[in-house]
Amino acid sequence: MAILISFDIDGTLEVGDPPGPLTMEMVRIVQDKGFLIGSCSDRPPSSQRSLWEEHQINVDFAVAKHLLAGVKSDFNADAYYHIGDREDLDRQNALRSGFEFLWPDEAAAQPWFLPEK
Amino acid sequence: MTTQMAPESMYRSTEGLGVWEHRGKVASVGIGHSPTARRWDGRAETSVGALSIQALRTAIADAGVSPDQVDGLVLVPVTTTGAHWPEDQPVPMDVVNAFNPTDDPLDGVGQLSAEWIIKNMPELTNVKFTMYAPGCMSAAIVVAAQAVGDGLASNCLVLKGWHNLEGRYNHGGISASDEVPGSFAISPGRTLWGAPGCFGTALQFAQYCTKYGKNHDMMAPFMQNSRRNGLLFPEGYWAQHRPEQLTPEDYLSSRWIAKPANLFDNDIPIMVAAAYLFTTADRAQDMAQKPVYILNHASSRGVARSITPTLEEVEAETAATGRKIYEGAGITADDLSFENMYDGFAQFHQFHIEGLRYRGMQPGDALDFYQTDISIEGPNPILSSGGNIGSGRSRFWMHTDCMQQIQGRAGARSLTGVKPEIAVSGGPMPMGGNFTVWSATPD
Amino acid sequence: MVKQGVVPEDLNRPFFEAANEGRLVIQNCSACDRLHFPPRAACDRCGSGDNMEWKQMSGRGKIYNYGVVYDCPVASLKEDLPFNLAAIMLDEDPGILMYSHLPGVPADEVPVGGAVQVIFEATANGQKVPEWQVVT
Ligand SMILES: [Zn+2]
Repeated sequence: MAILISFDIDGTLEVGDPPGPLTMEMVRIVQDKGFLIGSCSDRPPSSQRSLWEEHQINVDFAVAKHLLAGVKSDFNADAYYHIGDREDLDRQNALRSGFEFLWPDEAAAQPWFLPEK
Repeated sequence: MTTQMAPESMYRSTEGLGVWEHRGKVASVGIGHSPTARRWDGRAETSVGALSIQALRTAIADAGVSPDQVDGLVLVPVTTTGAHWPEDQPVPMDVVNAFNPTDDPLDGVGQLSAEWIIKNMPELTNVKFTMYAPGCMSAAIVVAAQAVGDGLASNCLVLKGWHNLEGRYNHGGISASDEVPGSFAISPGRTLWGAPGCFGTALQFAQYCTKYGKNHDMMAPFMQNSRRNGLLFPEGYWAQHRPEQLTPEDYLSSRWIAKPANLFDNDIPIMVAAAYLFTTADRAQDMAQKPVYILNHASSRGVARSITPTLEEVEAETAATGRKIYEGAGITADDLSFENMYDGFAQFHQFHIEGLRYRGMQPGDALDFYQTDISIEGPNPILSSGGNIGSGRSRFWMHTDCMQQIQGRAGARSLTGVKPEIAVSGGPMPMGGNFTVWSATPD
Repeated sequence: MVKQGVVPEDLNRPFFEAANEGRLVIQNCSACDRLHFPPRAACDRCGSGDNMEWKQMSGRGKIYNYGVVYDCPVASLKEDLPFNLAAIMLDEDPGILMYSHLPGVPADEVPVGGAVQVIFEATANGQKVPEWQVVT
């Protein structure tokens, strides 16, 4: 089953400002498991891409906050999740865009992020 | 010592005042900046008080004076970027007690008093004049310049510090309540109708586009130029933390806040402090840096007639501000080498520079001007500091840049298409702000 | 769109009471024949508060210009994003502006300069406030 995860950056990822609970290693783990991954943030797309490049992670998408719905139409998956730390910009936006939503702490507890045995 | 808010008589806010009586007799000789941060991390050494002390000490050292020679301090007591200390949350006493506190525990954490600064900078043994200015550095500069000119102080520190706490701008408090007082419901600015902070400017910009046949896309070169200049400003937020260019595609694909204002038309709130040291033109000769002479200060006190300023009111006010700036400095628009008018909202920078008639611009010309060479290498530089868009919300990059350009120490940001001799900086709002004319020579 | 409830105060009570009766009244200095909105304690021309009275308006106006709000600080309006926010110029004096969400006009389809007519809309606590509808 294909799962797509959209990560907010600031307040969500460890490299965000402020740093969030999700590490780049966790992102690598889900990617290795075959998840479609990318970022959806208020940072400009060009800087989202350079952030991922800096950590040698080849993401499937990097989009502005208001373009999350477009990610759903661009990628075919069985489930779509957005992880973020803001009520309106992340949670409401995710639900409006047809995504399931997880707060960063909730997400960090998901078994997805455990390394394969 | 009790510190008063500067009286309105210290500002030059009407036309017809003639040349400023202290023209060329006051100079800036020292600059100090703290590092920047996106938000306060709760530590004593990164508090707004600590950043302010750092900026002040740097400015004193930069000027090459000894701290006991400082006899004046002008500062802005309000330090918030929008968020105030939550009433239900105790002020962290470990931070408060890491300094010499005043009676108010918020001092140094969520505000600044002159008393707190003096208590925590014991080396300032001879400060006899202290005064508060409202709002931003632009006001503090005007007050300090007038104070030095008037002989109230001879070596005067000028300070503005900013704290930025967690939380989103204006989203708490009254915006979250079920009922609001009638005066709030129909007050200018934010109201029952849910206008975000940038709405007034967005509305003026919308009318500007309607009136002159322009559009939001035409802002892209200005935004790119501002971020580029900001990234050449080592004191700034983007240069220090996220050295990313802002491409036209990034700008134009950003989400709207209040169309026609998008996310990047708004600046980013940060933690930072800056200080300057002003002195008399005579004393400036003996100091470490090349003096930057102040030819004039001028203030706008525009009042909107109704619920929000119209474009027509803004245009009338910025034109009047331009006339006041030139009249008191004894110069014309042709004498300006460069400009550093405020930009925090990006969409009113053009009102400021059209009001100045910078490079002969008339109302409605600026967005076309932005499509030409506005770089620091060209003959018509626009906002060489990069402003708030280039370096985060401080409202003082433009002053520092005027000084550094004229002193020949703007580094990679140095103007090469013009010789930096006379510049103007100031803000914030087109309908209300304070402006200063800087010069390489006193006459 | 349900706006936050409004609690009138002395200075603006006549404005809100009239709104509950379906009338738009604006403060006027009878000495200067000058309208004021928002309400003020004293006239911005003669400086006196002695001649301030409430004057009934026709309820007709024109759209000065508008923005479309996508990110709004007011919690109770967030579910209605994005929405129009226009400034309305009163026909009696285009220098007097009032805000409007322009009910019925789709976001970003606002006829700038178009004629509007006042209506009165209940807020969350029942207090009515003026709103404006495009005249077709
Ligand atoms: Zn009157």
